[in-house]
Amino acid sequence: MKTFKLENEPKIETGFKTPDHYFENFSIKMMEQLPKNEPKVISIFQKRKTLIMMAVAAILVLALMIPILSPSSTNTKELDAAALENYITYQSNVNQYDLISVLETEDINNIKTGIALEDAVIEDHLSTNSNLENLILE
Amino acid sequence: MQEEQEFINHLLNPKTQNQAFQQLLQGYQRPLYNHIRNIVLNHDDADDVLQNTFIKIFQNLKNFKGESKLFSWMYRIATNESLTFLKQKSKTSGVSSETLQNKTIDNLEADVFFDGNEIQIKLQKAIALLPEKQQLVFKMKYFQELKYEEISEILGTSVGGLKASYHLAVKKIEAFVSTN
Repeated sequence: MKTFKLENEPKIETGFKTPDHYFENFSIKMMEQLPKNEPKVISIFQKRKTLIMMAVAAILVLALMIPILSPSSTNTKELDAAALENYITYQSNVNQYDLISVLETEDINNIKTGIALEDAVIEDHLSTNSNLENLILE
Repeated sequence: MQEEQEFINHLLNPKTQNQAFQQLLQGYQRPLYNHIRNIVLNHDDADDVLQNTFIKIFQNLKNFKGESKLFSWMYRIATNESLTFLKQKSKTSGVSSETLQNKTIDNLEADVFFDGNEIQIKLQKAIALLPEKQQLVFKMKYFQELKYEEISEILGTSVGGLKASYHLAVKKIEAFVSTN
């Protein structure tokens, strides 16, 4: 069999062909595609990214403010009436004279205002009060 | 080199970019197409890879450091794109890259964009038996007639190594064609 030597043979071409006007059309097609890949696309993405970051920051700030704005906060300055009464009764040395000394004359007059009670109401109350005998003895 | 740097500046400047890229396409689309077609063999695949190559070139021009020539850099992108394409194609087809290459060669005879005779098909079959690197070196040297120095810059292999690869490839091809 004859030995094949590449250098002794005429140059073997690839035999590959392209469609007619392929390269002319390719240039046009490529130039149309390019603007989509311009950095502008990246800048829009970056803008969107910034918006997302801002939204996340706003949500975080709002989340941190919830304990301050929430009406159910335990830091309320208004004291519970029952807690105040219990404190005065059991925990402090405040007596009725101390209370009177800090009250204005008008407040004292208000306290002195008599309560108009009807006889029937008093009788009804006394008849249902189990400690009536103790009260009489006192 | 000065001229090339100026051309790259035109490519990066938004005002001159389109015109410069048009010039780049005119100058390089044919050699890059031939390089890609020699690797992927089929016209439609070569068309896809060539588009991806130019898009990559356009997107990465700002990162081009000028350490190598623009020509070598673009050839390197085209080579990588072609090899990646073939790997993906063989993966999606569920066959090895060797089987895929043989199948593509078998289909060449029916390909309307192939005008080769028996010896050309036999040569492609002989090339398909070579390791990937030897195939690349042979195709770039024999078909595209690139200089060893140019191939060296594209593939990042020494000129001595390339000469040895080409010599081995030629020997294997001659042995295959002689016995088949």
